[in-house]
Amino acid sequence: MPLIDGKKFAQEGLLQVAQHCAQAAMHAPQLIGKTSVKIEIVADEELKDYFRLQDAANKLGARLSGETYKAAYDMGEPPVVLLIGANVTPIVEAPCRAACPAGIDVPRYIRLIGDGKYDQAAMVVREKVPFPSVCAYVCRAPCEKKCRRGTLRDRPIAIEALKRFAVDHAGKRQVRKSSVQPTGKRVAVIGSGPAGLTAAYYLRKICGHEVTVFEALSQPGGMMRVGIPAYRLPRKLLEREIEEVKGIGVEIKTDTRIDSLEDLFGRGYHAVLVAVGTHEGQKLPIPGADLDGVLVSMDFLREVNLGKDVKVGKKVLVLGGGDVAFDCARVARRLGAAEVHMACLEAKDKMPAAPEEIEQGQREGVLFHPSRTFTKIVGEAGHVTGVECPEVESFEFDEEGQARVRVKKGSEQIMKADTVIFAVGQRPAIPSGFGLTTGRRKNLDVDVDTLSAGREGVFAAGDVLKGTSSVIEAIASGRKAASSIDLYLGGLGIIDEVLAPPEEVPEVPFARQSTETPGVEPERPQMSLLPLDQALAGFEKVELGLTEEQALAETSRCLKCDQVGFDCGGCGFKTCREAVVNCQNRINETGGEPWGWLMKGPSCIWRAMELGISIDYAAAAAHTLNVESRVGMIPAMAFMRMGYMEGCTLVTVLPLGPCRERWYFSPGTGREDYRPAEMERRGVMLQYPPLWMRFTGPGRDLGRRGINVKDRWWDPPYTRLEIVEDDKWGNAVLDRDYSIFVAADEIRKKKKTRRLNLPRIKQILDDKKQKKQP
Amino acid sequence: MPRITVRDWPPYSPTDQNRRDNVVMAARLMMNAALTAPNVGGLPMTEGEIVYGEEEQEAIARKMEELAYEREVWKHIFLYEAVMARQADALVLLGNTRAYSSPWDGECGLCAGRPDCSFVYENRNQKAGIIDTTDRRFDTLVPGPLCVMYAHQLGYNVGSALMVAVHLYVDARPFISIGLAAQKLGYCRDSAVVIGIAATARAKCEPSDPAPDYHLVNLDRAIDAIRSNVNQLGVRPATGKEYRAGDPAKKR
Repeated sequence: MPLIDGKKFAQEGLLQVAQHCAQAAMHAPQLIGKTSVKIEIVADEELKDYFRLQDAANKLGARLSGETYKAAYDMGEPPVVLLIGANVTPIVEAPCRAACPAGIDVPRYIRLIGDGKYDQAAMVVREKVPFPSVCAYVCRAPCEKKCRRGTLRDRPIAIEALKRFAVDHAGKRQVRKSSVQPTGKRVAVIGSGPAGLTAAYYLRKICGHEVTVFEALSQPGGMMRVGIPAYRLPRKLLEREIEEVKGIGVEIKTDTRIDSLEDLFGRGYHAVLVAVGTHEGQKLPIPGADLDGVLVSMDFLREVNLGKDVKVGKKVLVLGGGDVAFDCARVARRLGAAEVHMACLEAKDKMPAAPEEIEQGQREGVLFHPSRTFTKIVGEAGHVTGVECPEVESFEFDEEGQARVRVKKGSEQIMKADTVIFAVGQRPAIPSGFGLTTGRRKNLDVDVDTLSAGREGVFAAGDVLKGTSSVIEAIASGRKAASSIDLYLGGLGIIDEVLAPPEEVPEVPFARQSTETPGVEPERPQMSLLPLDQALAGFEKVELGLTEEQALAETSRCLKCDQVGFDCGGCGFKTCREAVVNCQNRINETGGEPWGWLMKGPSCIWRAMELGISIDYAAAAAHTLNVESRVGMIPAMAFMRMGYMEGCTLVTVLPLGPCRERWYFSPGTGREDYRPAEMERRGVMLQYPPLWMRFTGPGRDLGRRGINVKDRWWDPPYTRLEIVEDDKWGNAVLDRDYSIFVAADEIRKKKKTRRLNLPRIKQILDDKKQKKQP
Repeated sequence: MPRITVRDWPPYSPTDQNRRDNVVMAARLMMNAALTAPNVGGLPMTEGEIVYGEEEQEAIARKMEELAYEREVWKHIFLYEAVMARQADALVLLGNTRAYSSPWDGECGLCAGRPDCSFVYENRNQKAGIIDTTDRRFDTLVPGPLCVMYAHQLGYNVGSALMVAVHLYVDARPFISIGLAAQKLGYCRDSAVVIGIAATARAKCEPSDPAPDYHLVNLDRAIDAIRSNVNQLGVRPATGKEYRAGDPAKKR
C-alpha cells in the first residue's frame, strides 16, 4: 500500500490552489476601486447540486453547459469550482445604506427629497419598515455614523432629519388591505413592539398568513409606546402607523398575557413569534435598593406613558448613562422635579446615550455626575434621602459582563435625592411556561440564521434576542423573523415590496433650482427645538424638524456614494445618476430577480472590467501552479440561480482541475449532439443553439426580438441562414429561462435557502412574451 | 566586452534609455499575455499598442490634462495620472474592437436592455445587424452603450498583461485616463474603450502612493523648482574674487 494515494492527494491540493487563486483575485489591481469581488468555492457534494440542476433543466427542455465538469466528476477527478463575481451595476453600495440594519435605500430617498418628491422619498423608507414615522423620529441613525461625508470631509449628512422631513411632508397614505391569496396558515405574535408588529405586517400583507398579535398591556406598541416618551415620538404618529398595521388585516388583542405556547398551538396556530421585548428593569443589589422612592426605569416610564399619575420628588437622581436613563431624567423634569441629577460609571465623553440626548438633557437642566459608582442608598424612616456615589478611578467588564470597578479612596460622598431611579439595563420577562432556553442575561437562545427558538414552529425577534437595542434593529429582526416563518410555513420567505413608482431624472434637481448658491457649500443644518419653558411644561415634541429650505440644501451635501460618479457614458447613459435610476427601476420592476439569461444589467463598464482583471488574476494564479482552469459563464448563471453569490450581477466559474476542452466532444457526454455538422445532418435547429451558431449571422434575428429595424433586411436574398421559425425564438428562450429557474428553486428548497419568487418570474416572462406579439 | 550601463538619471540619457528599452521588452511580452488571455467566444477582439518616448508620452499626458478640465468629477484623477503617463517608461494600450461595433449576441442581459443586445443595436445606426461605425460624434467620454461582456473581456486582457509585469518585476498599473486620452489621439483606433497600462522600472513606484496635488508636487516639478530656486540654496555665482584665486567657501 502506498503511503499516500497520489491522485487523491493531488485533488486535495486543488483546494489549496483555489485558495491561492482566490487570494490573487482579491488582490488584483483596480481601475476605479469600486468593485467588491466576491468569491465562493464549490467542491465535492455541493458540486452535485449543479449537476442536478443540469439534469433537471435538460429534462425541461433547456440545455446547460458544464458537461466537462460532470464528465470529470464521473471519472473520479472532481474539479474544484471557484465562483468569482461582483455587483457590477451602476449602483455602488453606499456606506449609509450598508449600515442600516433594515437596509433602507438612504441615497435614493435623499435624492428624491432633492427632487422635491417627498411622497416618493417616504415610500422608499416604507419599503423596508412599516413604521416610517417612528423610524424617522427615534432612529439612532447608524447610517449617519458611517456617512462618508462625515468620515472623509466635514460633518455627516443629517440623514435622520431628512427622513423625518420626508415623512412629515409626504401626503396622506392609502392603506391597502393585503391582496395576496390567504394561505390558511395562522401565526401568533406575542408582543406588539416594533419587532412583533413588523413581522405581523409582512406575514399578513406579503405572505398572506392570518396573524394575531397578543399584547399584555392595555395598548399596543410595546417599547414604542411605553418606553419612548411622547416628546420624542408623538403619539398621534404611533397611533396612525399601528392603525395601518391593523388596516391590512392584523388582529391585535390587548390585555392578553400569554403564559403557555402549548395553549397557542392548541388553538390552531401553526407558528409562534416571541417578541416580548425587555420590559423588566433592573435594580443593582446594593443596600437600600428597596427603600420608598427608589424606582426602576421601565416601570417608571411605563406608568407615565400609559397616562397614570406618577409623582416624583423635588430632587431626582437617575443612576445610569444610556438613552433610557436620559428618558427617565427628562420625564422627571417634566413631572415637576426641580433638580434632576444623573450619575453613571462612564466618563462624560463615553456615555452610551446618543449625543443629541445628552445635548438636550443638558439644555433641560439635567446635571451630570460621570465616573461614579453606587455603593448604597441611604434613607430615613423608610424613604430614600440619598445615594453614596464614590468616584470611579477605572472600570472594566469581565467575561460575564459584570463591572469591575476601582474607586478613588476617600471620594465617597452622599448625593442627596428624594427620588432615585435605576436605569442600569433591562431584561426580557419570558414566562417559564414557554419552555424556551434562555442565556445568562435571560435572553433567548436562537439560531442566528433563522431566529428559530429551538422548538418546532417557535421563532423570536427583537430585544429578547440580545437585550435592549434600537427600534431599527428590532424592525430588522422582525423582518428576518417574518421571512423565516414564511419559509417554515411553506412560503417563499420573500417579504420585499416595491412602493415607490419608477424614478425619473429631472433636468435640474429641484434642490438646485430652489436653494443652491453657486460656489457656496451649505453646512449641516441645526434642527430647531421647542422653547425650553414650553418643552418642560408638557410632553410636546421637542425637535421641530427641518424647514424645506434646510432640507433641500442638505440633500446637496450628499456625496452620492451610490454612484460610480465618473459620468463617462460607457453604459449608454449620459450620467451615472441616470444609470443608477434606470438600474433601480429595473430592480423594482422584477423584484430583484435576474432578468437576463446569464446575468443582470445594466452594468458599469469599468466595474465589469475591474472584475475581469480579478478573474484573470485568479486564472493566471492557477496557471502558475500548473493547474488547468478555464473561465465559464453559463454554469455561473446556474449557480447564481441556485442561490450562490448573493448580491452579484456578473459571475464566472473558474473550474480548477480536469476541465479540458476535449471533454466537449468526447462521446457519452451529450455534448456531441450540438456539433454544427451533426445538426446540419439532422436538419434540426435546437431550441438552444450553442454560441458558435449565433455568430454565423450577426444580428440576424433582430426583428424577431422586437428590435426596431426599419428595413426588412432579413428577407431574401439577404437571408443566409433561416434557423428559427417565425416567433418561436424569443418565446422558446423565455420558456427555457423559466425552466432553469424552476429547477434552481427546487435546489434552493432542498437547501432551505432563500427561495426564488417563481410566480413573479413567470409573470415577468409572460409579460415579455406578450410584448413580443406584433 | 560591450557594456550595457543602466541608470535612471538623467532622463533620456543613453544609460536611462537602456533601462527604458528593458521596459519596452517587458511591454512586448505583456502584450502577448494580453492576447492569450481567456477570451469570450474565442473571437479576435483585442487591439494593442505600445507607446514610448518623450514626445509620444508627452502628447498623451497633455491630452489627459485637456480632458481633465472638461468635468469636475474626474479632474484631479486625470491631472494626477497625466504625471504618471509622463513618468512611465512605456505605455501599453489595450482596447476591445468589438464592444462598440458588434455586441456579444449572447443574451447575457448585462447592458441596460433586454437580454438580446437590443440596447446596443437600438442606440446605433445599423443595417442588417451591422453597426455603422463611421459616425464618431459623441458628447460623452466613452461612446456608450458598449457591450458590457466585451468590456469585461478587456479586463481579462489587462489582467494578463499586468500578471506578466508582476512576473517580470516591472511596476505596472492600469489607467482609464491614459487609455481614453490615447484613444482620442488615434491610438487603438478601432476600439471604443481603451485601457492604458503605465509600466516603469525605477526604485520608486510613484503611482503607488502619489502625494496630494500630485500634478504640482511630483518629482519632475520638484527638480524644476530646485533649478529655479537654486540661488536660494546658496548655489549662486561667486562675486568678487575669481574662484580660481581661492576657495570662496573657506573663511579667511
